[in-house]
Amino acid sequence: MSFLAPLWLALAAAAAVPLLLHLMRRRSGNRVEFPAVRYLQRAEREHSAKLRLRNLLLMLLRVLALLLIALAAARPITRLSAGGHPPTAVAIVLDNSLSTGAAVDERTVLAALRTQAEAVLASAATDDRLWLVTVDGEVRAGSASDLTDALAEVRPFDGAGSIATAIARAEGLVANAGIPARHIVVLTDGQASAWAASVALRATPVSVYVPAIEPPANRSVADATPRPARWTPRGAITARVATSDSVTWRVALGERTLARGIAGSGEELVVRGAPDERGWVAGTVELEPDELRADDVRHFALWIGPPVGVAVSAAAGPFAAIAVDALVQQDRAVPGADVIVTAADGDARLPAVLLAPNTPARVGAANRTLERLGIPWRFGPARTGRVALRGAGVEGAAVMLRYPLIPQPGAESDTLLVAGTEAWAVAGPRYVLLGSPLIAEATDFPIRAAFVPWLGETIAQRLGSAAGPVLAAAPGEPVMLPRDVDGMESPGGEARAVSGTIAAPARAGVYFLTRGAERAGALVVNPEPSESVLRRLDSEALRARIRAADLAITGDPATVVARAWAADGGRSAAGPLILVALGLLVVEAAVARRGKSGEASA
Amino acid sequence: MDSPRAPRADLFDPAALAALGRIEIIARWIVDGFIAGLHRSPRRGFSVEFAEHRPYQPGDDLRYVDWKIVARADRWVVKQFEEETNLRAAIVLDVSRSMNWTGAPTRLTKSAYAERLAAALALLLLRQRDAVGLVRYDETIRTVIPPRARMAHWQRIVGALGDQGAGLGSRADDALGHVARMLRRPGLVVLISDLLLETVPVEQAVRTLRAQGHDVVVLHILDPLERDLSAGGEAVYVDPETDVAVPVTPAEVRDAYRATVAAAIDEWRARFTVVGAAYATITTDVPFGVPLRRAFSSRERLP
Repeated sequence: MSFLAPLWLALAAAAAVPLLLHLMRRRSGNRVEFPAVRYLQRAEREHSAKLRLRNLLLMLLRVLALLLIALAAARPITRLSAGGHPPTAVAIVLDNSLSTGAAVDERTVLAALRTQAEAVLASAATDDRLWLVTVDGEVRAGSASDLTDALAEVRPFDGAGSIATAIARAEGLVANAGIPARHIVVLTDGQASAWAASVALRATPVSVYVPAIEPPANRSVADATPRPARWTPRGAITARVATSDSVTWRVALGERTLARGIAGSGEELVVRGAPDERGWVAGTVELEPDELRADDVRHFALWIGPPVGVAVSAAAGPFAAIAVDALVQQDRAVPGADVIVTAADGDARLPAVLLAPNTPARVGAANRTLERLGIPWRFGPARTGRVALRGAGVEGAAVMLRYPLIPQPGAESDTLLVAGTEAWAVAGPRYVLLGSPLIAEATDFPIRAAFVPWLGETIAQRLGSAAGPVLAAAPGEPVMLPRDVDGMESPGGEARAVSGTIAAPARAGVYFLTRGAERAGALVVNPEPSESVLRRLDSEALRARIRAADLAITGDPATVVARAWAADGGRSAAGPLILVALGLLVVEAAVARRGKSGEASA
Repeated sequence: MDSPRAPRADLFDPAALAALGRIEIIARWIVDGFIAGLHRSPRRGFSVEFAEHRPYQPGDDLRYVDWKIVARADRWVVKQFEEETNLRAAIVLDVSRSMNWTGAPTRLTKSAYAERLAAALALLLLRQRDAVGLVRYDETIRTVIPPRARMAHWQRIVGALGDQGAGLGSRADDALGHVARMLRRPGLVVLISDLLLETVPVEQAVRTLRAQGHDVVVLHILDPLERDLSAGGEAVYVDPETDVAVPVTPAEVRDAYRATVAAAIDEWRARFTVVGAAYATITTDVPFGVPLRRAFSSRERLP
């Protein structure tokens, strides 16, 4: 016999209470004067034998009942009784990743996995502990009936999720259940992208069920990107379709179709437009539905509005002036005074793109300007030497002369570009600060093709009147929101408060970020493109990803059920013990009552 | 108690009544109430014959007002009667330590109850012009007051009730033997005791008294708790006289105890009935009128 909760055996000490009461009942120190003691003596004499027997019997019954209750509380497992299975902690890991939404013979893979989960739950007993863990991070606990109901609510996730994390979580659950017999059942379609990471289990037996279902051919929208992210008001949507044959597509802004056509395999779509919509707009690139519908649409978000008015001072140098001219010609900026591009040692105001001074002698003047404008950064001593510039879209650019940007108290670490290991371009409220002048002796960045788009995006995103980022994430992926964002608006229009780092919503779509009552950016949630590649891992590949001492990978439903409940051990004896204890207490009550009535009749 | 309409003290709760005054006053109230009760009784009272007239006093039985004199002379007088027999009575009172006990602070001790009962009984007898004496005993005879018929004798009896007592024994047989010697002609002997003593010597003594022609009334005083053991937790119960200790859980032996007490009472009743003595159990929570009435009704039933 073994015990699931042996600490409860300490409750057996309570059995000493009736024993002590029985032994001490004649040792009471309380003395009471009573003249009619002779009658008491006579009553005791005439009934003492019967009383002693009754009290002894009552004491034994009470001690035995308490011992049995303590034993039952310790949840003993015994092999004496036959049939059934021992109490087992079973966690069912259900792969509900996007790929399980693929329909084969008019039935989704997830439906097949759900049926298998129901078969496992159907063999559960009341003593078992059960969990249902899905790859979207949901954990449900309860009885077999509860989990069967919960299974009906499980829908395919809009992303790959993390089956390795789900398995690790399942092992933690069964390990802490306090039941020696435990098992993890993994129900998966074996999709390669879902099994990117491997998982190592300590000692928990694992049964992996992979239904023998051939994945269907699949078409998907692999990419959908607005270029630029801010249309003023012209721009283009570029999209890429993964298909083995031709497929009709549609690009929509909101509910309005922007364009539609037919694309071939590997073809890149470019849809240009100058829509009438203004502000933050959600759009989709859609394909005609196939067997896996979740990846037939891909979402994007963009901002449409007037270009920013930009002025360039003479101190900024010719490269800056040429770049702004190019932006004006592309309708991405207009001549104006909304934003100024100037050297920090000149006559500067905010909002502005501030450049480092051309000569080290002007560093002091530049720092005084920064101080006057309340910018918590200072230029350090000039440094020379060629270092690579790193950051989004600036590959290949280098810096030869730079002034290290030294943060002052209150400086935010919003670094845009890095030269070597030090910040080169930083941004803050209404300013962007560069660590070099835009001259040929200082950096070759202005002559790179990436410079004009970078400058345009930087001015539009950081200094424009409707500034705000577009973030992209897969469902469930952690996302760090901009500091000033305090809310999020779902595709359905429901708003909720958010801040800091959040998990991307489980459903794909465009979630507008809000600051107060205004939209301040967008979070675009799309499935990982790799999840659309329906490629199954074979048993060997799966075995390599699950390192467990007792692992079985099978497509046989009966094997999974048999393994899940085949743990060695006996059945719980708690129930019978409680029944016996209750029976003893009933007998005790009967003896006590009979004793009283017997005395009365005597 | 001066008004005929006053509440009858003999029907009061004994403890509440005892709290109202000294034993003489209480005894008078009891007797006045008891006599007033007899007025309403269908019984005609004791066997007496007319002797003389005396002025009416409040509280006098209206049956004995001489209405002819009232009508003729407008003078209120009552007829006084004389007993056919000159009864000599002795009250034998147990004052042992077992009597000095009560089961609840709201009740009188058995001694206090018995003393008030004895005082009332003596007064009642004296008012009937019986001669009354008192014998108090515990392990020895503590007080002996020979029977006298004068009303002033009652004060002596009441005074003797406060004498020393509470000894560690109860020699009722000796006390009854003393009474047998004290009453030279047949009379009335009232034994007031909790009867926590041996039965045979007492039975022998009563038998002797009966053989001498005395009427014997035994008032067995019990505290209600002694009768039914209705309260109390697990404890060592100690006899205050013998120091015998018995550890008892009342809940376990209550029924057996009640049966034992009932058997003891039945035994006493049987023994006294055989020898022709009247016997009544009195618990200390009943009004004094009850034992008085039992004492005299028992006497009426005697052969």
